Amino acid sequence: MGVFADTRGYVSETWQAWNKFWFQSVDPATLCLLRLLAGTLIFYTHLVWSLDLQAFLGPEGWLPVEYVRQLQVNQFQSNQWSVWSVFFWIKSTWLLWTVHIIALLIFFCFMIGLFSRTMAVLAFLFAVSYAHRVSPGAFFGLDKVNCMLALYIMLGPCGARYSIDSLRRSRRGITTPVAPSTSANLAIRLLQVHLCIIYFFTGMAKVIGETWPAGTAVWWAIAIPEYRSIDMTWLANWPVFVAMATHATVFWELSYWALVWNRFTRPLVLWMAVFVHGGIALVMGMITFGAGMIIANLAFLRPQTVHRWFDPIAGRFARLLGAGK
Amino acid sequence: MAKVEPSRTEPQRPTPPGQQQPVKKQPPRAAGEIGWHPVWRWLVSLLIVLHLTAVFSAPWDMATSAALPPGYIAPTDNMGRPLPPQAGILQEPILTRALHRTFFNDYLNLLYLNHGYEFFAPDPNGSNLIRYQIRDSGGREITSGQIPDLSKQWPRLLYHRHMMLAAQTGDMGEESGRRYAQHLLNVNGGHTITTELVFHKLLSPQDVKNGAKSDAAESYQVLAKIQEVAKPKPEQPIALPSTEGEP
Repeated sequence: MGVFADTRGYVSETWQAWNKFWFQSVDPATLCLLRLLAGTLIFYTHLVWSLDLQAFLGPEGWLPVEYVRQLQVNQFQSNQWSVWSVFFWIKSTWLLWTVHIIALLIFFCFMIGLFSRTMAVLAFLFAVSYAHRVSPGAFFGLDKVNCMLALYIMLGPCGARYSIDSLRRSRRGITTPVAPSTSANLAIRLLQVHLCIIYFFTGMAKVIGETWPAGTAVWWAIAIPEYRSIDMTWLANWPVFVAMATHATVFWELSYWALVWNRFTRPLVLWMAVFVHGGIALVMGMITFGAGMIIANLAFLRPQTVHRWFDPIAGRFARLLGAGK
Repeated sequence: MAKVEPSRTEPQRPTPPGQQQPVKKQPPRAAGEIGWHPVWRWLVSLLIVLHLTAVFSAPWDMATSAALPPGYIAPTDNMGRPLPPQAGILQEPILTRALHRTFFNDYLNLLYLNHGYEFFAPDPNGSNLIRYQIRDSGGREITSGQIPDLSKQWPRLLYHRHMMLAAQTGDMGEESGRRYAQHLLNVNGGHTITTELVFHKLLSPQDVKNGAKSDAAESYQVLAKIQEVAKPKPEQPIALPSTEGEP
């Protein structure tokens, strides 16, 4: 009797906790901040393609479409249908530029929050289109982060705050407060758990290497001349610092999934993310990738914190645009 | 960063007095309330589990490799060289393979989530570079260069895209080098091109202390060399299927 009652109680409490974790309504401020920042990053990322659009995304560029399609079948071990891109069907230069300009407009609207939900879905579809066209070839971690952010942001009311949509509502005299949202929580939770999976496996992959367990990997990373934007080779005289940075990175990545949920260790874990990704951005020249990972980590900011930090700035912008706060 | 605070329900901001409240079908949900009908929650819960299992399965599969049984001794050929294990000897991680490659592969591809997330793992390594030299039909040099080239590719993200072109050549194979060569001929003109895939070795801390330079000639190692002749341009820009040297 007691076993059944306890088991039933356990299942009931687990279901309640599950519901609270995934389906609790939250202020969408965090999601809206992510839309603004990720939208800026995604817009910039794709704007840069304009500088050599034909070479990277055209039908006969560095890697012609038909060749990339064959590589993808081998690499992804899949049917071609699931590796899709609008650029696989574009044959002419004028159409390539037309689609690119439309995509940039969509990314821009996504960034500023104009018709936010629709633009978020379209931004995700275009981000995947660009990424699949250059995979393999010119893709790297930035494309993975962009698509991940766009995927989850489109699931919730990402234009409820810090957006042109919210300004338009104010101008129309709609002053009702932004309603807490279950889908905003779901989007944020999925992003948070996805980040935990990323850090766990990147930590695991480092453990089976040689230089990460040996405590020298940070040296070899900063010693790559092609990545270098700030010369840190003076660290040759500081092997203990290199070893500490290397071991700390591995332990941080391996423990991220556990420590980020605890309210006491969370600030430490997130500051470490800023330090690691900010360091990669500044020292190794991967500014966009570093920014993307830091933006993804902001998913752990509570809405109250977002309000405290960003509402004064948003209020100033709103007043500049003549819509009050 | 996030200030540590106990969880609390955010108060609703009151509507300023004198303003008419718009007619609503449903009162807004308060922060902290559980949303959606239980049936929806069950359904979405199932989708969450499936999605996260899919996201987990890709790096899990890529992190696992086939194992040889304990005590396995590789057979050798008549020259004494070890032979690769026969089919059935290798112990494949069947669960990770099935989850990722059978069930979730296409789903992950659709969403561009099919990744191993091996950032600078298992070890940071030197870089691949591509050097090229283009000549006209008389053998005179038209242009030469290197991919990537920080002095020509700006902003940094564009340089990084070019760096990836060179870096991923190793994974794609020699044919990708031929495609790059043909592209360079198309862009620059010319009759023949010679490309070299170069590995740029890293300096150890001791090398740096000894005064070695990262751009010293001995730090570059040529891995492969390709010579290509410009193909005649078709009148219509149609993509013809290639029949030679494809993997």
